[in-house]
Amino acid sequence: MKTIVCIKYVPDTSEAEVKVNPDGKTVDDAKFSFDINDADNYAVEESVLVKEDKGGEVDVLSIGPKQSEVMIRMAMAKGCDRATRVEDDRIADHDPLMVAKVLAGALKDQEFDLIFTGCWAEDDGHMSTGVALAEYLGINHASMVKKVEVLDGKVKAHRELEGGLMEVVELELPAVLTIQTGINEPRYAPIRGIRQAQKKELNVVNLDDLGLDPSEVGSEASLVVLENLYIPEVESAAEFIEGEADEKAEKLASILVKGGLV
Amino acid sequence: MMMRGMIMTTESQTFTEKYDLLGCIQCGRCTGGCPVTVRADLNVRQFVDDAYDEEKLDELARLAEIWDCTACHTCAVRCPKGLKPLEVLIGLRSLIVESGKVEPTVRDALQSVLLEGNPWEKSRATRQDWMEGLDVRIAEPGEHVKNLFFVCCTNAYDPRVQVTAKNMIKILNKAGVDYAFLPEDESCCGSEVFTIGEEGLFEMIVEDNTEFLNEFSADRIVTLSPHCFTTYRTHFPDLKLPVIHYTQLLDELIEEGKLAWTGELPKKVVYHDPCYLGKQSGVFDEPRRILKSIPGVELLEFDRSRERSLCCEGGGGKMWVESESKKERLAETRIKDAKVLEADIVAAACPFCVLTLEDAMKGLGYEEEMRVAEIMELLGELIED
Ligand SMILES: Cc1cc2nc3c(=O)[nH]c(=O)nc-3n(C[C@H](O)[C@H](O)[C@H](O)COP(=O)(O)OP(=O)(O)OC[C@H]3O[C@@H](n4cnc5c(N)ncnc54)[C@H](O)[C@@H]3O)c2cc1C
Ligand code: SF4
Ligand code: SF4
Repeated sequence: MKTIVCIKYVPDTSEAEVKVNPDGKTVDDAKFSFDINDADNYAVEESVLVKEDKGGEVDVLSIGPKQSEVMIRMAMAKGCDRATRVEDDRIADHDPLMVAKVLAGALKDQEFDLIFTGCWAEDDGHMSTGVALAEYLGINHASMVKKVEVLDGKVKAHRELEGGLMEVVELELPAVLTIQTGINEPRYAPIRGIRQAQKKELNVVNLDDLGLDPSEVGSEASLVVLENLYIPEVESAAEFIEGEADEKAEKLASILVKGGLV
Repeated sequence: MMMRGMIMTTESQTFTEKYDLLGCIQCGRCTGGCPVTVRADLNVRQFVDDAYDEEKLDELARLAEIWDCTACHTCAVRCPKGLKPLEVLIGLRSLIVESGKVEPTVRDALQSVLLEGNPWEKSRATRQDWMEGLDVRIAEPGEHVKNLFFVCCTNAYDPRVQVTAKNMIKILNKAGVDYAFLPEDESCCGSEVFTIGEEGLFEMIVEDNTEFLNEFSADRIVTLSPHCFTTYRTHFPDLKLPVIHYTQLLDELIEEGKLAWTGELPKKVVYHDPCYLGKQSGVFDEPRRILKSIPGVELLEFDRSRERSLCCEGGGGKMWVESESKKERLAETRIKDAKVLEADIVAAACPFCVLTLEDAMKGLGYEEEMRVAEIMELLGELIED
């Protein structure tokens, strides 16, 4: 069983105040701490659990800066075997499709059975990278997975839907599963383990090494343009529209038209 | 990021050698003094006996009660053979830590120490946010200062006890003391990392902090928390500067007549000896002299005081491990004892003691008639800006 786990290095914005820089397109990250994306931490644990159960290997794949290597070493200390870190300024990393394209490119000559990603990244919260990755690779996927059962040539994925409803799907391998938090209890990476993980293979590559054309994963290829970032104003006004469904729809439509919103 | 001192260590000692298990005469003084035996199944003497069998270690490590120890050190103080029975429990904890299968709260605290230099999952960049608006001097390597302050993660980040450091600055400025606080790259002293049993991380902290602190030129390091105080004194053999606790500095200033209190505090105050200040480091009288210097204060004593002081259960990593026992918490026992003494204020000189005792006091519903306070909190109210 060969598993790939995709992890992202993200800022923790729960403690420090989020401030937009004067350029209006970036956030002041001076006061943030950075760590593995929460859902990805569960994905790492799940990949190691699969390895412990079925044998095989786990490779880490991450696009991120040099500082993120501590996160990668921690994943290795937990049981992942080797890692690839892609670093290249030319990637339009605000666009999940471009990110997925790079991830897919990094995996194109590799054999694997499973790919785990987190179900979403806490920083930009698109919830689409994992699914897009499956699409680029032309393989099956299941999102929001809360339980994984690896079968012979297949995987049974339990997906948590709205309202806590569980859907169980069976997929042919290889497949991408986007892992939801709470699927397991991530273990601790002891320092001695991290030290030993320094010996494991970590390849740092750029787009050229991967044989990817920068113009296909850069801003010119991206359909997403980041116009402006701002902190939403907290407003307390809420209007409840009463009436039968068609009356409500009519009132709502007129509010939207009057407000110039449609 | 704390990744500076990544070197390999060799483990050749057996468990029995490391903890001198053959030295134990099974006298039972350790268990006889252990405060948590009244509420948990922990029998430390039995662990000292059983751990001799190396094949049993994994089984012992899986027993939940190894996490009940608060690292109060009563057992070590009482042992006639100079053993540290609690360290056997810490050694067993480290077997669990090495497997990675610790409580999520413990995992997160340890990881936060590694990545951010504090166990509270706060960003390193915000470590000095508490200083905002204060006239505080920051130390620079090479620039000599008499008193170099180490603030402690808990004092730096926990809004309840930040007052300790803030009031300290007020007093230092007022008394014209030559001092500076360490810059933002001050990192956790590792007190709780050690007692949780993350040996590798603790070794790294000892190495990194020694290197960091040795860059500064000072007469001494002044710690605000007894946990940092005792940890630096006992586990940092290569630290060049002597380390004292703030109560020792203030006691000196009072002795030299450099501190004058404005107003008075006509209250009955009982002093709670923090385990890490009293029984572990022998500082008993300075905090008492400080309290006695306050006009109006009537200083009371607990029956269990000084070396026999009852642990508040805030140490030993217990901030991150919930006890399974539903029996009365020791902090509650302590507050009830204070109530019997009719104390108005329970004073402590440790952030963990303040947090646990205050929690217990509120839980018992004594908020109207009783107050738990850091000594610095009381002093801050008695000094003019
Ligand atoms: C580490 C250790 C472990 C041991 N384990 C065991 C064991 O498991 N089983 C076993 O059979 N033996 C054991 N022994 C031996 C046993 O404890 C001693 O043989 C026995 O206690 C000796 O009694 P003692 O009267 O000489 O002194 P102690 O036992 O020390 O007795 C002192 C007590 O006697 C009383 N006393 C003494 N003098 C006076 C006085 N002038 N006036 C009034 N009261 C007085 C007081 O109450 C005082 O506390 C152990 C001994 C040690 C040191
Ligand atoms: S350190 Fe305190 S709590 Fe722990 S075993 Fe010793 S006496 Fe008991
Ligand atoms: S106090 Fe010391 S000698 Fe006595 S039983 Fe405990 S560890 Fe052994």
